Amino acid sequence: MRHKGWLALVGIAVALVTLPAIRHATDFPMFYLIFLSGILFWTAQSTSWNILSGYSGYFSFGQGAFFGVGVYTMAVLFGRQGMSWWVAALAAGIASMLLGLAIGTIAFRLRSLRGEIFALLTLAVPFILASVARLSKAIDGGQGIVIPVPEAPSFLSQFQEFVFFVGGVVALLALTVAYVMQHTRYGWALFTIRDDEDVAEGLGVPTFFHKMIAIGVTGLIAGISGAVAALQLGFVSVEGTFNLDVPLFVIVMSVLGGRGHWAGPMVGAIYVYTLQNRLASGGFEGWSLIVLGVILVLVMLLAPQGLMAGFRRRPWLSAGVFVVVFLGLWLLGVTTDPVTSLAAALGVTAVIAFIPGGRRRPELGEPETGPPQEHHAPVGDEPVAESVGSGRPLLVAQDVVKTFGGVRALRGVSMTVHEGELVGLVGPNGSGKTTLVNLISGVFPPTAGTISLDGADIVGSRPHRIAHLGIARTYQIPRPFTSLTVRDNVAMAIMFGRDPLGLDASRRAAVEYLDLVGLGGRADALPGEINLHQRQLLEMARAIATRPSLLLLDEALAGLNPVEIDNAVDVVRRIRGSGVSIVLVEHLLRVVNQLATRIVVLDQGMELAEGEPAVVMRDPAVVKAYLGRQADAAGE
Amino acid sequence: MRRRARILAVVSVLSVVAAACAGDSTTTTTEGTPGTTAATDTTVAPSTTAAPSTTAEGSGDPIVVGGTLSLTGAFAATGAIHKLAGDMFVERVNEAGGLLGREVQWNLLDDESDTANIAPLYEQLISQDQVDLIMGPYATPNILAAMPVAERYGYTLPQHTAVLAPLMTYACQFPGWSIGPEPNSFIPNQMADALDSLDGAVSTVALLTNESGSTAFISYGIADDPDDPSTLNILPERGYEVVADIPYPPGYEDWGSTAAQVRDANADLVLMNGLGVEANSLIDAMQQLDYAPPLMFALFPAPGPLLGLGDAAQGTLSVSIFEPNAPILEQMDPEVGEIVDEFAERASAAQIPYTVFETQAAASWNAWEILVQGVEGAQSTDGQGICDSLHSTGADLTFSGAVTFDPAVNNFWDTTEGLKQIQGAEWVMVWPEDIAAGALAGPTG
Amino acid sequence: MIELQAAVSGALNGSLFALMALGLSLAWGFLKVINLAHFALILLSGYLTFELATATGLGPIATIVVTAPLMFVVGAVIQLGYERFDVSELNSLLISYGLLIITVQVVTNIWTADFLRLPPEINPFSAEAVGVGSLRFPVPTLLAAGFAVVLVVAASLVLGRTYAGKALQAFGQDREIASAFGIDHRLLGVLLAGAAGASAAIAGMLFPIGGTLTPDLPFEWIGQVFAIVILGGIGNVTGTLYAGLLVGAISGLVAVVWTPSTSPFVVFSLVVIALVFRPKGLFPQKGG
Repeated sequence: MRHKGWLALVGIAVALVTLPAIRHATDFPMFYLIFLSGILFWTAQSTSWNILSGYSGYFSFGQGAFFGVGVYTMAVLFGRQGMSWWVAALAAGIASMLLGLAIGTIAFRLRSLRGEIFALLTLAVPFILASVARLSKAIDGGQGIVIPVPEAPSFLSQFQEFVFFVGGVVALLALTVAYVMQHTRYGWALFTIRDDEDVAEGLGVPTFFHKMIAIGVTGLIAGISGAVAALQLGFVSVEGTFNLDVPLFVIVMSVLGGRGHWAGPMVGAIYVYTLQNRLASGGFEGWSLIVLGVILVLVMLLAPQGLMAGFRRRPWLSAGVFVVVFLGLWLLGVTTDPVTSLAAALGVTAVIAFIPGGRRRPELGEPETGPPQEHHAPVGDEPVAESVGSGRPLLVAQDVVKTFGGVRALRGVSMTVHEGELVGLVGPNGSGKTTLVNLISGVFPPTAGTISLDGADIVGSRPHRIAHLGIARTYQIPRPFTSLTVRDNVAMAIMFGRDPLGLDASRRAAVEYLDLVGLGGRADALPGEINLHQRQLLEMARAIATRPSLLLLDEALAGLNPVEIDNAVDVVRRIRGSGVSIVLVEHLLRVVNQLATRIVVLDQGMELAEGEPAVVMRDPAVVKAYLGRQADAAGE
Repeated sequence: MRRRARILAVVSVLSVVAAACAGDSTTTTTEGTPGTTAATDTTVAPSTTAAPSTTAEGSGDPIVVGGTLSLTGAFAATGAIHKLAGDMFVERVNEAGGLLGREVQWNLLDDESDTANIAPLYEQLISQDQVDLIMGPYATPNILAAMPVAERYGYTLPQHTAVLAPLMTYACQFPGWSIGPEPNSFIPNQMADALDSLDGAVSTVALLTNESGSTAFISYGIADDPDDPSTLNILPERGYEVVADIPYPPGYEDWGSTAAQVRDANADLVLMNGLGVEANSLIDAMQQLDYAPPLMFALFPAPGPLLGLGDAAQGTLSVSIFEPNAPILEQMDPEVGEIVDEFAERASAAQIPYTVFETQAAASWNAWEILVQGVEGAQSTDGQGICDSLHSTGADLTFSGAVTFDPAVNNFWDTTEGLKQIQGAEWVMVWPEDIAAGALAGPTG
Repeated sequence: MIELQAAVSGALNGSLFALMALGLSLAWGFLKVINLAHFALILLSGYLTFELATATGLGPIATIVVTAPLMFVVGAVIQLGYERFDVSELNSLLISYGLLIITVQVVTNIWTADFLRLPPEINPFSAEAVGVGSLRFPVPTLLAAGFAVVLVVAASLVLGRTYAGKALQAFGQDREIASAFGIDHRLLGVLLAGAAGASAAIAGMLFPIGGTLTPDLPFEWIGQVFAIVILGGIGNVTGTLYAGLLVGAISGLVAVVWTPSTSPFVVFSLVVIALVFRPKGLFPQKGG
């Protein structure tokens, strides 16, 4: 797929450069270049939208803001002030990028601003920009701005060729960026953010940084694209620019084409634009929105991954059908116009996307084959059970307090984990075990108290930084990245962990960790296809792939049957054998007995007891806390 | 059930394909109708030069005029008026033997009221469909978008509704509706002239402005030049105090608040440079506050709905280049009366809400006459030839008289626009006095 | 004094938007569905009110008898569709957008894109107002405010006091757990969606009374309605009403103190600020 992608991009580039020349030679009507220019514009806009919203899942309704900034920068700098058009276009891209970064700085810093709230925030931005443009006589003042025809370079003698070429350059830029991101860590980071941002952050992905890159890139491309579009429009007005057309259409195109693939939005743009064009020229304008709406509804219900996903499942069939229908209709003269043939061919090919089955293609492409990459995964074979508590203090938590509103989850807990230990953290429900784990891993800061790792204070650090310092955790209910394979789940942990490797190397190195937990045979499965136990093992494999010095296992054995429990215990031992210190939060006392070198008991947010397992479990206070007064009274 | 849904999907997709194939013909033609004869073979406009009068059909290839109109979308109501006027004009030309002896066909596409469609559609008409002539679309932003296309291909562009003279820089663009080279000076000055005739009954003015395109231009002049002539500058110079200046954005809804402001300003004249039904909304809102301004003016309202307000809108003023008032029709060729009646009949059948042949339709008629006379003057359909002919001989328009085109002022001829006023159940031309059909009624109450 | 009158007119105007926002907010908060089709129902109701009123000569308000049950059914059916296809929150947004544009186009095809206004004989309210002291309360928006208050009170009573209401709240907070407790979320969801549809009918009825109809109206509404939903807090019934009044009053005030073009700037900047500092809305409910 890698090579096919590059080929496609190169093909598009070649077509862009040669089409004007071909037009001179064959004198086909300018209309087709204009048609293609329209597709190029929407490709650039949709693809740029997709980089933020499709890849990362942060749905934006504000594409009109970037587009509008692009249009108006060109209008003011070139149309009014007379700067050269390409300088204005670059300025437009930069202005739009800065707007994106500003929005990101506000929106991404706040934890509460997820999902739909972010979408609504972006919806408000174009309205604000529109009123500013209208109020300010320096920008528009309400009357609109005329944009003269720019000087075109000599080899593009006609204006429409010029527009086509420049639009093509922008579209190509958009596609290339999307392609590169999809195949490098930048895109991967966004995919994991889309699947589960908290988990990604905890595995070492600097989520804020990557989201800012995404929104910055979106703004840059959308701004330049808007600037170029302004050249074509010739006259811009506030109400014509800052309306809901662009924001809604880019969403429709990207969703229709497919949000997970760099070429998806382009496919969607081709479909929607061709459809609207043919309906309008056929006199069916009154149907255009109806048809579009119906298609949107059907695709969302039946092929929510978009058309591209369907085509990738049957690539040769799709390509073949398209070419045959298109060329057949055109060359045989069944239709008078190649664009109509295009529309028919697209329609027929779309049917293929709805057929279930076909080759299952992982979204991120096939991993490269090659020799397994060394990543020094722990391969200890010998279960280690003896106490090695003589190591130096690794994690020191001192008088930690955490209150949520009126609830005091932790009331001053102190705990030290020494290097090489396996500390069992036990206690009845609601005692604060998971809260402590969350505090240590940085999910939220403590209300009071200190936590330090290797002597360095980690309170207030972002979770990804704490991950880089050496703390990893698993979740009680496994949270794998659902759109990545088992292998890729581990691979991304390697890619962003303490010992990072590149994309391909990470994928090859992931195998070692999978073998360690016994998941080697399921490397290419999706998390949805494996059972609970395997998902828990995946949690562990992913966590240790970041090469932590301290691993927090939060009820990693919940819901397992006895055989699975024994297997899991084995795995934990092997992990420990490689030198990772472990905090094991567990309910099952026999497991704790088997594994832990030391136990800490929490009850109602306070430390109740601490020491060797055998001793602690007989402590009457502990028994009472666990089993209640009656059991205690019964002398158990 | 999933299976049925999938079948449904396939059927839908294939029906889209079918629609695409059905839409294969890229043209929607509106043909002149040869064969229906008028009572006499007098030509449409007094100045159309001799064409063979006996044969209903022209000989040779048809002359195709390409253009777009807003047949759907936000501007569709007015688009329909221009379509009907154009249809009627083309029919009459063909009945009279065609243009240069050839039948005229109007290749009309729908731009869906979307400015972004204009340039591609005109490119298609010119470069792919290879039309002989073009006619401009409706609404200023759309005309501005078509202009560069016409310029690139050297086509003369007659247009009927862009009055923003300074922006219409293409030398071969010809307006069917002109408010002169400086509408931002003409309109306020004409208004002041009319107010002067009321002998001091009006001294204060409240100005409301739709902040877009032409209305903002008339109120404030060129955006970044505060000294440009404008309503805001000129009225005080002429002795009328502007006591309130309220610009509002297109799509504004909160008329209650604005009405309170207007009531508070207590001006003699409420001058609303607005569009569509904004005047209606303002009048309603003012009535809710138990306030009726002594005199009211609306610049580019939708004419029908204002009449529908009955008493509340009596006396409202606006601008017009033609109203089919009886005294005016009596002074014109009887042909004009027939045009007005036929338009009313066909508009009613087409369910166009306002069936009166007035400014919009007249502007359309002017534009078509300009095109036809240009072609006849040049005796060809060559764009440059038509342009040169029009520059040298001007045109003789049924509804606006003899006009000349000076490229130095972007071809905007001296206007015959005047003021109209709602009196009874119709709009009546009331100013200037020499073309008025009724007397200008002054402020009430 | 005009500032007060402007604030009053604006607030009443805002109550109409609050009425529109109500159904949307409820569906979003409790059914986890962002239902843009709600705007389609409002638009359709407006046009149906116009048709029925002109055809039968009954007052426009009487048309609710037909439109409200009709939209109840339509809203319920749409929700059934969401349930049947197990549509996620994001997908519901896209699907309902598809339904919205289909509706807009159908309305355009049937009624044309022209402005439609009820003639004064049929709609006596359009220019009337109730006077209290020197203040005037325009009747169309006063009606809107009245309906809004009634619906909001009814909704909060149902949600807070009845079993069904509490079940809905539970369902809104955690679907899976709630169903584990035997709450038939499907039926409740469908009923709620139907009620939202009926509220859309009422909102739609008020538009021809107060102004003009054009098919493109939903796209003008979206900005303000979502602003009110956000400021009021998603799913917060009384909050939505307060937010509508607040946004309306501010809009009206800004329009007369500065210019009408400044209002959207102020309102949407307020939305951004509110989202940053009070993402749960300006009027948080206790508990929550």
